[in-house]
Amino acid sequence: MTSVSLYWRIFGLNAVVLGGATALLLWAPVTVSVPVLLTEAVILVGGLGVMLVANAALLRIGLAPLDRVTRLMTTVDLLRPGQRLPVRGGGEVAELVSTFNSMLERLEGERVASSARAILAQEGERRRIAQELHDEVGQSMTAVLLALKRAADEASQPLRGELQQAQEITRESLDEVRRLVRRLRPGVLDDLGLVSAVTSLATEFATHTGLRVLRRFAPDLPALDHEAELVIYRVAQEGLTNAARHAEARCVEVSLRGADGCVVLEVADDGRGIGAAHEGAGLRGMRERALLIGATLDIASPDETSAPPSGTRIRLTVPTAARKQS
Amino acid sequence: MNHQDTHDDHRPDTTIRILLADDHALVRRGVRLILDREPDLEVVAEAGDGAEAIAMARTHDVDLAVLDIAMPRLTGLQAARELTALKPGLRILMLTMHDNEQYLFQALKAGAGGYVLKSVADRDLVAACRAAMRDEPFLYPGAVTALIRNYLDRVRHGEEAPEQLLTPREEEVLKLVAEGHSSKEIAELLFISVKTVQRHRENLLHKLGLRDRLELTRYAIRAGLVEP
Repeated sequence: MTSVSLYWRIFGLNAVVLGGATALLLWAPVTVSVPVLLTEAVILVGGLGVMLVANAALLRIGLAPLDRVTRLMTTVDLLRPGQRLPVRGGGEVAELVSTFNSMLERLEGERVASSARAILAQEGERRRIAQELHDEVGQSMTAVLLALKRAADEASQPLRGELQQAQEITRESLDEVRRLVRRLRPGVLDDLGLVSAVTSLATEFATHTGLRVLRRFAPDLPALDHEAELVIYRVAQEGLTNAARHAEARCVEVSLRGADGCVVLEVADDGRGIGAAHEGAGLRGMRERALLIGATLDIASPDETSAPPSGTRIRLTVPTAARKQS
Repeated sequence: MNHQDTHDDHRPDTTIRILLADDHALVRRGVRLILDREPDLEVVAEAGDGAEAIAMARTHDVDLAVLDIAMPRLTGLQAARELTALKPGLRILMLTMHDNEQYLFQALKAGAGGYVLKSVADRDLVAACRAAMRDEPFLYPGAVTALIRNYLDRVRHGEEAPEQLLTPREEEVLKLVAEGHSSKEIAELLFISVKTVQRHRENLLHKLGLRDRLELTRYAIRAGLVEP
């Protein structure tokens, strides 16, 4: 064992300082008068000062790795994995740093796993509710609507008026159910696939926000599993929401393309961009979803992009092959 | 009524024979009762899913198929595709909960001539059946608004040749439709009847080249609204 424990290291440092002082007192030609003279007192106090400074400096060097650990502990962001401390030297401090690193590793893994569980549970629940609203409530209300229409046609006034009113109420509720279903679940994604779903998203945003949305979708995108498609869809949705709501953008381009072993989604707007310091819940949600499928999310701020349309550029790179985690 | 098969698609005096496919029996019954009450419409076959609809179309003589989109086994869209290939003369109408243009364009691409939302089935279904038999695409109002908006957007950015043929009144209606007003609201704003507004809407679509099923599909592909 070449490593020295922290306890012995601190003890050793103190022993060196105290031993030095004692040796000085023993062999140096000095005496302390009784009562003490002013010059002697000054020398003694000065010696004490030197001892303390030396002790402080030695302790600082010995404990610096602990400071680094504390600093990383307070700033670490589990949504940006891969932040680690360098392990230098030996002994307990190095061991602490490497244990801390592996704890980060484990926390990041658990964070991904638990948010994956939460997101999947949420999406699954939404899907189930939407399905039931669509298949059961919606269909029954359609049947009611048709029955009311038939009854209204056969009834005479004033009953007919009443029935027609009931028809209108049913129609409105049915529209409401349909809106609910649409908000709960991107049905287009399940039924018609990613390109249709993102197209629909783009036209919807163009219609409701006045934003000019350009679409650029490469033909023959590599196949993705359902989970990955859902993440791409949600990131596109969040990116468009961001462009419409916060960026004061006039034009936004959504593109999907395949690049060796990856599918790349880009949402680029010409707005004022988002400061790196200000990452809202939306962007954190995007990061969380990206981690879920082992994808990387890059958000470029205005000063980083050199091209004239500054704005924000969100790029999600989803690996298609050899995805092991889920 | 006795209808001998004449293999003639345009038989104004005879009944339109309808195949009805919806996985929800109550909806099917409701639709059937509505359609059967019309003298010129008759439901001759019912199916609970897309595959059954195809089987029914093979064994029955039908002029028009009314299909739900969300069905087990084969969806309405898949069934429409197969039916178009199987019986080119057959008219197809989608009856669905989805008010999303993507479904509409996919339906048009699959060969459907009309698209009726279930929430207005009591009001529009009969008219849509007759329009489908006349080979006119029947679209729900939201789809018309979305199409016109998209069209105007493309004209503004020079991706579509601007249309000079519109009358001032039609341009007024076009603007209001694009702003999302309903026919009733437009009628009130312009002091004209709802019927007149609807006629204007139809003329508009016609003049913009969006009145015919194939033209509509071609436009949707050109505008990138649906994959070719």
